[in-house]
Amino acid sequence: MDSHPDTQWPRWEVFKQDAPGRPHQAVGSVHAGDPQHALLTARNVFVRRPAAVSLWCVRESDLLTATPEELTTRPAVLDTAGEAGTYHLGVKRTHKRSMTFVDLVGTVQAAGPGDALRQAQAAHPDALAWLVFPDRAAVRTDEDPGTVESWFAPAKEKTYKQQQYYGVIGRHIGELKRAGLMPGRAPTEEGA
Amino acid sequence: MTAATEALSTAQTQALIRRLTALADDEIILAHRGGEWTGHAPILEEDIALANIAQDELGHATLYLGLRTDLDGSDPDRLAFFRGADEYTNTRFVELPRGDWAFTMLRQFLYDTFEALWLEAATRSSYAPLAAVAAKAVREEKFHVQHTALWAERLALGTEESRRRTQTALNELWPHAAQLFQLVEGEAELVEAGLLPDLGAVHARWHDLVTRHLTGKCGLTLPQAGAESAPRTVHTEHLAPLLAEMQRVAREHPNAEVW
Repeated sequence: MDSHPDTQWPRWEVFKQDAPGRPHQAVGSVHAGDPQHALLTARNVFVRRPAAVSLWCVRESDLLTATPEELTTRPAVLDTAGEAGTYHLGVKRTHKRSMTFVDLVGTVQAAGPGDALRQAQAAHPDALAWLVFPDRAAVRTDEDPGTVESWFAPAKEKTYKQQQYYGVIGRHIGELKRAGLMPGRAPTEEGA
Repeated sequence: MTAATEALSTAQTQALIRRLTALADDEIILAHRGGEWTGHAPILEEDIALANIAQDELGHATLYLGLRTDLDGSDPDRLAFFRGADEYTNTRFVELPRGDWAFTMLRQFLYDTFEALWLEAATRSSYAPLAAVAAKAVREEKFHVQHTALWAERLALGTEESRRRTQTALNELWPHAAQLFQLVEGEAELVEAGLLPDLGAVHARWHDLVTRHLTGKCGLTLPQAGAESAPRTVHTEHLAPLLAEMQRVAREHPNAEVW
């Protein structure tokens, strides 16, 4: 790895909350030079259309993750040392859908990241993966109305649209179909 | 014709059309310059971010031209894709080539701050359709300012190279930025009537805010160069090639039903 040093900015995991009361979910990552840059970039990359009310970013080096397989082959992960305090626990429960996320399921008091991971494993033994980070590592969007209004409110009005919607010249294809101006499907053997 | 448009005199309507078109033209051209970075920005995340900002600006142009449609029935697409450089009324400020990342971010910052302040004032317009559009667009613009203000700061306080580039961009852009605050014909009467924001007051607030950020926070030096005084109908040689590219598909297929 040392022969190919990573010259990019640090990676930040992005956690998005879709609505009040919903868990923050890990939705992807951004590279950014500092915490504020990470939040602003995350907003542009991950809150363009879907609704959101809050964003957190956590620097990759502040995260500790593990799968059950990794804990079997490298149990020493559970001894990872670090500062004691409040840790957030994240759990990945399924990989059945095309997009499955790590949900933040709550916080625990832990002696360090390894201890937090051990607690996550104990509380959620069936998880496909666990993720923990100290509370102080999370950079959060402000909760004041001004931020919510400028960061999150506009996206609510930008629903997904089919590509054809954006035709700026001429008429929508659906309009032409209704007017009988588009050729229909070739008749099938049965229909003929 | 809505109740709001019926209340306007012919002269007021014409002046309002001029202001709305000037705003839309600035947005369309700046959005195109932003879009030119697609696939070329310094990092993937910023590529996406700038494309999103450019798309927002284009959305604002659509809002402004929609207001114009209410006044004269004009077709926004015809205005965007079938007017030549001699008919566009954008500032030279937005049509200058995109330059480097420092130039792009600094221009966007100066423009976003202007637009956010103008829109904020426009939310108090007595012309209800404009006040409604402004209330919608100002939210996004406030976020744009945050993003581009951060970039101006990071670049100005970054390396010697990035500081030099940012100062060079400021030197070049500063005189042109003044053109954003020129009144269009008949605008003073609309301001008097409470229909449009007072550009002079917006200019004062803009000057205060960008000066504090650029000199106070970023440690840049404001150039002494005089203000650009060209009217919005006089363009640099850079606009025509931009429009040629932007309008190419529309003009090659003027009667396209579907594309």
